[in-house]
Amino acid sequence: MEPVLELQDVSMSFGGLKAVDSLSFTVRENEIVSIIGPNGSGKTTTFNLISGLYEPHSGDILLKGESVAGLRPDLVHNKGISRTFQSLRLFTNMSVLENVLVGMHSVTSAGPFASMLRLPSVRREEKAMYDKAQEILGMFPGRFSGPRQHQPAFSLSYANRRRLEIARALASDPVLLLLDEPVAGMNPAESHEVMEQIRMLREKGYTILMIEHDMHVVGGVSDRVIAMDHGVKIAEGTYDEVANDPQVVEAYLGKRAADATA
Amino acid sequence: MSFDHIMSVTIGGLTVGMIYALIALGYTMVYGVLKFINFAHGEVFTVGGYVAAFSLLAMGIDASTPWLKVAGAIALALVAAVTVPMVLGFLIERIAYRPLRGRSRIIPLLSAIGVSIVLQQLIIIIFGPKPVTIPTLALSSASVSFLGVNVRVLALVIIAVSAALMIGLTYLVKSTRIGKAMRATSQDMEAAEMMGIDTNRTIAFTFLVGSALAGIGGLLVVMYYGSLKYDAGFLYGLKAFTAAVLGGIGNIPGAVVGAIVLGMTETYGVSVDLGFLAWFVVAGLVLGLYVQMVRVPNRRLAHIAADRRTPEYERSIMNVYRLTPYHGIKTLLAERTDALLSVSAVDAVRLMAGNIFLAVLAAVMFINSSARIDTRWQPVIAFVVLMVILMFRPSGILGEAVTEKV
Repeated sequence: MEPVLELQDVSMSFGGLKAVDSLSFTVRENEIVSIIGPNGSGKTTTFNLISGLYEPHSGDILLKGESVAGLRPDLVHNKGISRTFQSLRLFTNMSVLENVLVGMHSVTSAGPFASMLRLPSVRREEKAMYDKAQEILGMFPGRFSGPRQHQPAFSLSYANRRRLEIARALASDPVLLLLDEPVAGMNPAESHEVMEQIRMLREKGYTILMIEHDMHVVGGVSDRVIAMDHGVKIAEGTYDEVANDPQVVEAYLGKRAADATA
Repeated sequence: MSFDHIMSVTIGGLTVGMIYALIALGYTMVYGVLKFINFAHGEVFTVGGYVAAFSLLAMGIDASTPWLKVAGAIALALVAAVTVPMVLGFLIERIAYRPLRGRSRIIPLLSAIGVSIVLQQLIIIIFGPKPVTIPTLALSSASVSFLGVNVRVLALVIIAVSAALMIGLTYLVKSTRIGKAMRATSQDMEAAEMMGIDTNRTIAFTFLVGSALAGIGGLLVVMYYGSLKYDAGFLYGLKAFTAAVLGGIGNIPGAVVGAIVLGMTETYGVSVDLGFLAWFVVAGLVLGLYVQMVRVPNRRLAHIAADRRTPEYERSIMNVYRLTPYHGIKTLLAERTDALLSVSAVDAVRLMAGNIFLAVLAAVMFINSSARIDTRWQPVIAFVVLMVILMFRPSGILGEAVTEKV
């Protein structure tokens, strides 16, 4: 399988704190990789580095062999990396449908003059965008149907906001989808549903890198798991391998617990 | 006070309001995206007016020029009055604001005031300190009978053009790709970037659109009043900014509503008899009494558990609001605060005093019903109305464009 994303010795520090320390890993095509680790272990920083919000101090980030390190976030998105956010960041005053359409910004091209004149090319593009949005929203059966699409995003329930973030990220047909805690704050039934949807996304051919704390979900969908602590990768492998790794147990539960299981 | 007079004052007020609106939109759009006030926007408007005036002068237009040539000249002046401010707005953002983006909000604000002063000086240096005056054209003095009233054609043109531009802008922001990008950027710039939106381009576009509208405003003002001074942008800018706040800063329809309210207030305040204005005070009093006697007690009762809502209790609550003067004096004399009804003696007396003040004001205005307020009081009237509206609706008439953060 061809590597989609490669991190090569990526480091990033805030002042004296090394948030990410020589991190290297690979995500291959049509793979689901999960990053786990205690709070403050550098998972979200890693996501922010990949999506261009931060520039790594050293190392390189390659998307399909092409460096994207230090590129502006919108350009990274144009290259095909789309993401969701741990603390939801929908455009809350825009409608459900509009949020998805905004997600297509980088793959559409209608200019202001053409849009104002409603040229045929713009109308075709709008029709295509609308159909595509319906297809994406349709992946969440019953959640975004009919009049609900025209409600502002702030009127959605918490779980639906998380779903809409995924829908928005899918709108640009990303090469790599970054999911930052997709089931955070959901109840078990809801998170199970999201897990099924993530599986379905893999069947559709998406490549996913995910941060998640819910071990049921991590164990349920991941091909590989990467464990981080204090900015360093401490383990990598299948879910079972990582879950039983003494260093991982220590990071989560402390040294005594690790000794007890060893 | 004839109907004709009221009509022409209304159209005059609407015309001024529409011009304010064209400028106010620039303030409100930039605020929506960057959350700061672009104080240099007033000067962009002046530059638009000056460029329009000088291009008309350069083409040698006067009252005897055939109308087709005048129309062509105005079209060319319009192109200049749109292009130059757009370039200027773009450069201002690029040079004075973008390098400071992400700093605390006071910093771009200072930069904006600086740009405003610099531009005013540049206008003096380039065009001279004397006001620019264009010759009276047939178009700008022509009038037409509209609903039986003689109205300047130009006033109707200004209203129609501005309305069309505002409808266009609403469509642009609501329905087009770039408009969605603008709204996304205004709500969460970082998230917009990570969704593939080039926020720098989007912000530059916002400045281009706002500056173009201000430039058109400059052209219309020059044609309507025939002259423009180098510092005109200060007062127009300030009033347009006020209009934007009045309507709800960051809110596009709000800017239009605020501008029309401001334009109307200014014009009505000094152009109609006190006897007519008194009806506005009466309307205010009636509205106040309605809120005080019907809305507030009903809303208060709605919060009270059904089992406590005995008829006597309801009556006692209603009485507080309905018979405020009587009840106010009674509570004041008794020196007690009615905790159960949560209306203090001071509240009751305040309500009473407010009602009496408005009633007396209306009475005085009716007694001097044929008098008019001197034009010099125009800003004072506008200020009082602004204060009153913002006292009751601090977020503006249509409310700020809230960006709910979760």
